[in-house]
Amino acid sequence: MSASPSHFQQKMQNPLKSLGLGKKIGDFLNNTKFLNRSLSWYLTGWRAGIFWGLVALFLPQLLSLSSNFLDPTYFAPNVLLLDAILCGIYVMLALGLNIVVGYAGLLDLGYVAFFVIGSYTVAFATSGIIRNIHSQVVTIPAISFWAAIPLAALIAGFMGVLLGAPTLRLRGDYLAIVTLGFGEIVPIVIKDVPFFYGALGFQVPPAPVINTPFGQVDFGNPLDFSAFYYLTLAVIILIVMFNILLRNSSIGRAWIAIREDELAASASGVNLVRIKLMAFGLGAAIGGIGGVFNGVMTSSISYDQFSFQVSISVLIMIVLGGIGSIPGVILGAILLRFIDVYVISTISTMLQTNIALANPANPFHFLVSFNLNTTKFLIFGLILLLMIILRPQGIVPNKRRQLELQGVGLAPEELSVVGEIEREESGASAPPDSVEGLGDI
Amino acid sequence: MAGTSKGEVLLQLKHVTKSFGGLTAVDSIDLEVRKGEIFSIIGPNGAGKTTVFNLITGIYQPTSGEIIFNGSSLKNLSPDRVLRRGIARTFQNIRLFNNMTIMENAMVGQHPFIPSDLFSVTFRLPNYRAAEKKAHNRALQLLSFFGSELVFRKEEYAANLAYAFRRRLEIVRALGSRPKLLLLDEPTAGMNDAETAEAIKYIQRLRQEFDLTILLIEHKLQVTMGISDRIAVLDYGRKIAEGLPAEIQHNDLVIEAYLGRKVEGA
Amino acid sequence: MIVLASTSSGIFIQTMVNGITLGAVYALVALGYTIVYGIVELINFAHGDVFMWSTAITLVVLNSMHVSTAVYGFTLIGLLLLMIVIGAVVSGTLNVVIERLAYRPLRKAPRLAPLIAAIGVSFILENIAELWLGASGISYPDFFPNGGIVLGDVTIQYIDVVVVVLTVGLMYGLNMLVRSTKMGKAMRATAQDPEAAALMGVDINQTISFAFLVGGVLAGVAGVFYSLVIPVYAYNVGFELGLIAFTAAVLGGIGNITGAMAGGFLIGVIKALATNYLPNGSDLSDAVVFAILVLVLALRPSGLLGQQVPDKV
Repeated sequence: MSASPSHFQQKMQNPLKSLGLGKKIGDFLNNTKFLNRSLSWYLTGWRAGIFWGLVALFLPQLLSLSSNFLDPTYFAPNVLLLDAILCGIYVMLALGLNIVVGYAGLLDLGYVAFFVIGSYTVAFATSGIIRNIHSQVVTIPAISFWAAIPLAALIAGFMGVLLGAPTLRLRGDYLAIVTLGFGEIVPIVIKDVPFFYGALGFQVPPAPVINTPFGQVDFGNPLDFSAFYYLTLAVIILIVMFNILLRNSSIGRAWIAIREDELAASASGVNLVRIKLMAFGLGAAIGGIGGVFNGVMTSSISYDQFSFQVSISVLIMIVLGGIGSIPGVILGAILLRFIDVYVISTISTMLQTNIALANPANPFHFLVSFNLNTTKFLIFGLILLLMIILRPQGIVPNKRRQLELQGVGLAPEELSVVGEIEREESGASAPPDSVEGLGDI
Repeated sequence: MAGTSKGEVLLQLKHVTKSFGGLTAVDSIDLEVRKGEIFSIIGPNGAGKTTVFNLITGIYQPTSGEIIFNGSSLKNLSPDRVLRRGIARTFQNIRLFNNMTIMENAMVGQHPFIPSDLFSVTFRLPNYRAAEKKAHNRALQLLSFFGSELVFRKEEYAANLAYAFRRRLEIVRALGSRPKLLLLDEPTAGMNDAETAEAIKYIQRLRQEFDLTILLIEHKLQVTMGISDRIAVLDYGRKIAEGLPAEIQHNDLVIEAYLGRKVEGA
Repeated sequence: MIVLASTSSGIFIQTMVNGITLGAVYALVALGYTIVYGIVELINFAHGDVFMWSTAITLVVLNSMHVSTAVYGFTLIGLLLLMIVIGAVVSGTLNVVIERLAYRPLRKAPRLAPLIAAIGVSFILENIAELWLGASGISYPDFFPNGGIVLGDVTIQYIDVVVVVLTVGLMYGLNMLVRSTKMGKAMRATAQDPEAAALMGVDINQTISFAFLVGGVLAGVAGVFYSLVIPVYAYNVGFELGLIAFTAAVLGGIGNITGAMAGGFLIGVIKALATNYLPNGSDLSDAVVFAILVLVLALRPSGLLGQQVPDKV
């Protein structure tokens, strides 16, 4: 039974919707000016692309300038760069999951599994060390970091296909729960199955030094992460290009088709299992690449770093930024990392060190002991829920997705959210009231 | 008319039955559609007409019986494989990709002819680019079958189209796969008289210009009697009559099962 | 209150008994998935957390009543009933409110949207509980007396009997409700074809709310039972238990009430056996359950008791 949306003709009032968040975000983006341009100007179009490209390109230099106005004991440029790299890893994950969720419309709730696989692949393959059933160290032939990247992508992609093959012929929501289970099981397996001995953790060798005509480049230098930063950036750019090439192709068309109406897609010649498997495998492979960078960057990995929360965080990044939109998911990843790493801990520190609050007579004294980190996932959950209900198209919507998600029950005027975005992307008028075919994803 | 009684059999249903749990939706149906025919299936609501379409196109598998197309069995073929064999269809409740442009809808229909392996696509290999270009041109050609409107509006989202044009775009999508047999599920449902008259004309044109065999489900007698070479009547999942339009019109069983009820309901 | 026997056959039977008791809990939770899925075709990811909130609230109520040891006689019956009612009210209300706030506005949206919303709700419920009662486990006031029927090597605890009997009773009641009452008919009609049901005068919103209410109530009762069998509260118990119960629902054929019961008991037994007989069983039994889920979905997605139904085309 496909839930054709015309079932529910009566207008539904949603108490949450009266907050008008969807419209507020759009207004905020359009009306807030920075250097004479609205925020939406900075988020869409080729000019924004060039602007942010330049920022990314000169980020290490910009950060070293930051010590002029930020206290380097808290904000050392190299540490900030490390944050940027970790953020970049999440950008990779978000771009990978976006293929699965955004393009093909499949819900993968265990994306962390492929992240794990990538991390462990680089650990085993570049150190050449595994453990046998008696927890003794065994050496295997080691390969270089450069070879580990495609290897991890292959293994993760293969695991994705292996998991997807039996489950992708099922309806989408079953896939969600199977992937959720898979994401839970992989860390358990790593912990308990001999060979991995995940409970003990693994050391990952640092990224290598290479010789170029211009001198040595040390990708693993912990005192200067710039080389590794540029490597991360280059990989992200490659992934973005890959995403764009896929999106604007016969494969991309087939993905949109299955997302909208599987049956009609199938009747138009799209092999459902193959095209879904492709999305799932590619998403998994990119997750594996993210895992490689994560393994090298965190240098010591253990099973407990890979929780369900990671999978969901990546999903939240996508929903926050805009499902299916490349600038959107990049923004979502950066924003959520920023909230995670800076906003939440800064507020906690402020509360704990505030002199007025330290006075026991202050009615808000209890806030001193309030550690926002424990509420982090509550905040994340709220972001996810509010976004999907009030602004399902995300901050920087993908045009097509915005149309699809119109079925969510926003009035058309509420949806002409980011005026400038609309104008830039040839404003097709809103579709008629009929939202046929939107019921199935 | 072409192939009224003789001619090569293109599609054959042999004792095809489909049951869901305890309900038998299609009960041991035999059907032969010949090359070049316009063959109509009529019957009251719930008679199993759309189920027959779903069985032919691989959306359902028959509980028993066999479907043979162009000499080979369609057993266990998924809808996309059936399409590749040369059977395309439209849907009763128009299942366009609303959030794709008109052009993209027409291109999706040609999916089987465009390489979709990762390698060709990522590196935009010559074979891929050539196929895309060819598909684009063919899409324009197919869209222009229905005049200039769809061509002019090709970059608009399909959701923006008026009802009659949505039906036409669905036919364009189906034609993209270069079918031998086209199944039209109530192609004039929801259309006014003028639009219906036009639909009758283009269905006949379709057969001529694309060398098609057409199987259609239709409620409007004006349509079925006007363009069908032969008609089969279903009731409660069984075939109760088959013949030339004139024969069907005077068949007592049919009048009782279908026409009579239809008049009451109308 | 899991008891282990000494002989190998005794251990086996004891494991089965323990499995059946937990299976009853899984079955009750599985019913919530099945009923809701049957009507709105949504996997309510937050269902496990709705269950958890019953354990949390009853824990706090028991603590505020200063119950810490076993009680007997009418006090026991009264307390048990009170907790069941509280758990049912908490979870039932919670489930209805969730549907109203989070799922209803997304009913017309693409399938992905309500699923994602459900994840968000699950996250929120879990983390509020963590904020409130902390991240570490809290022992649940075990007010049900120890002791049971001793059959040679095997002990069937009284609580096991109570849980299984009440569960079966509840399921019988649910079956009656769905089969014979007006609301039950409305539920079945809505499950089959919401549009037609609406045309026939069924209040769709009310019916869906009712389904969430029933699912929540059952989860609430299950929360009390679970806490009496495994008397430790944990804020994240709902996640794992939800996954197990969902597997039970799929195993029995999602949307099928009898199937969910059978699936619950079956999964309970399988999980208990895996826990007992596999190395690192308490961790790996989850992997076993997951493997069952994948196998059933791959080989027989309609479940053991489910039947093929036509998709609307």
